[in-house]
Amino acid sequence: MRYATLFWEYIKNYAKTRLTYRADFWIEVLSDLLFQGMNLIFILIVFQHTPSLGGWSEAEVVFVYGFFMIPYGVFSTFFSIWNFSERYIVKGEMDRVLTRPAHSLYQVLLENVDPPSLIGSFVGAVIMALCWTQLDLPFHVLDVLMLMLLVLGAVFIYAGLYTALSAISFYSDAPTGIVPLMYNIQNYGRYPVNIYNKMIRFVLTWLLPFAFVGVIPASYFLEKKADDLSQLALLTPVMGVIVFTLGLLLWNHGVKRYRGAGS
Amino acid sequence: MNQMLAIDVKDLRKQFKVQKNREGLSGALKDLFKREYNEVTAVKDISFQIPQGEICGYIGENGAGKSTTIKMLTGILVPTSGDIKVNGYVPYKDREKFVNGIGVVFGQRSQLWWDIGVIESFQLLRKVYRVSEQDFRKRLNELVERLQLSDLLNRPVRKLSLGQRMRCELVASLLHNPLILFLDEPTIGLDIVVKTEIRDFLMQMNREQGTTILLTTHDLQDIEALCSRVIMLDDGRIIYDGNLEELKTRWSKGREIQFQFASQTPLAKLQQLTDTLDVTWTLENEVTAKMWLPHAVSVSDALARVVGGADIRDIKIIETNTDDIVRGIYQTGSAATSKETATS
Repeated sequence: MRYATLFWEYIKNYAKTRLTYRADFWIEVLSDLLFQGMNLIFILIVFQHTPSLGGWSEAEVVFVYGFFMIPYGVFSTFFSIWNFSERYIVKGEMDRVLTRPAHSLYQVLLENVDPPSLIGSFVGAVIMALCWTQLDLPFHVLDVLMLMLLVLGAVFIYAGLYTALSAISFYSDAPTGIVPLMYNIQNYGRYPVNIYNKMIRFVLTWLLPFAFVGVIPASYFLEKKADDLSQLALLTPVMGVIVFTLGLLLWNHGVKRYRGAGS
Repeated sequence: MNQMLAIDVKDLRKQFKVQKNREGLSGALKDLFKREYNEVTAVKDISFQIPQGEICGYIGENGAGKSTTIKMLTGILVPTSGDIKVNGYVPYKDREKFVNGIGVVFGQRSQLWWDIGVIESFQLLRKVYRVSEQDFRKRLNELVERLQLSDLLNRPVRKLSLGQRMRCELVASLLHNPLILFLDEPTIGLDIVVKTEIRDFLMQMNREQGTTILLTTHDLQDIEALCSRVIMLDDGRIIYDGNLEELKTRWSKGREIQFQFASQTPLAKLQQLTDTLDVTWTLENEVTAKMWLPHAVSVSDALARVVGGADIRDIKIIETNTDDIVRGIYQTGSAATSKETATS
């Protein structure tokens, strides 16, 4: 409850500071959308050369992409901690966070909330809806609830992975190389995992479960395929809880090893 | 233990692993594959106790381990070994509960949000610390009036001068009415007016509310103005713990007497007058000279000699100032490791 009030306070302050830089706000929204648009165009180009990708049609792959954008937007809003190592560890701002009576991760997240990213989620939802009609999928009210559950699970998977990733900064001096690497790997999760070899597939499903952020939960709504990924779809929330718990544990352990900056 | 202790530290130690950087490109390549670490002990088994309501100065050279100690006391760092109890808590264990009872100001680093107005930062802190609106208003009004901040409240922090910002930082650290206040170089870079204002404010708060204060500083005038007690740290060890007066008498080596003569007095003549005493003369100008005498030589002895041999217009006795004494201790680095228990 208290954390909810705090959340609201931080959002209000975000609004106050950011709305003073209006141009900046819209540029961010635009560049976000352009970035997503480029990815989408890439998918469309691929499908100009082939009618299907590992048994997935163009509309289906775009559907997966649309689904992916929803948790990704939510995640980017609340977990925009790309500069965690730089700002909090190297510059020592963690000192300040640790002298305040709220969970350190929660404070760091709130100080970095980025609501414009949420627009990506809406665009994703629209893309999904369009593909839904194009693919002539049946629609039930239950699907909306399932969608929310799966999105939530996916957000938690992302959150857990990036919490763990940020927590590495507590252990290592300069983990800068890992973030771009992760960033690349996560992109694989948006495409049907059966097009990759077994090894990558295993990694994306169980080790760095980015498949659970895109293709697996999305396949729940699609026609069943031969290897039926949709069987795994209901595991998404479970994976979310597991991954996030691990991430949080790593963080909590890491905080104890924080060594501050300067003298 | 009849008196409740605000801070109780026993055999506190903090070690850091510091990566060794080998020289040159080949060294850097070697580092890439096999890193070597040095163990650096920043704080070496220190013990001290601070009773409630005391203002204690924590001094030492750069790198002596002051900040590391403060960070352990405030729950930011986890000690390598030893026991800490602050305000009845082990800081790093119950961090979230513990920090409700303390206030922290780091002179070098802002606690406030850079982009939002000062009052908005305060409001946010109110929520973080769960202070009721009523208490908050009352407390804020007192502090704002005392530190004359009313004009600054609506400005964003980044537009404040250092002095203004530091006063706001103080308010920010006190909104939740902490029992213990930690100040890490609170007066660094401030002009004398603001410094005095902050000192007066801290004094008053300590007197009226009994707030325990632990501050580190390089400005010994802070210590002279505020602290009933000084803990001096050198290379991670406590080399002095007691009051400031005692520190001065124990480590000052002598004093200086400045003479103004009625007529020109050559150095040779002055040295001749005091030739059996262990004093040193320096000539300031033609009619002014300074005599430095160690504690072993009595002032009356030395004065008698000079008075008998020269026509004196004026005499001034100059006590060695604290800066000089402390500089002397830092330079020798020893200070005879005389650990004392708390003088309360």
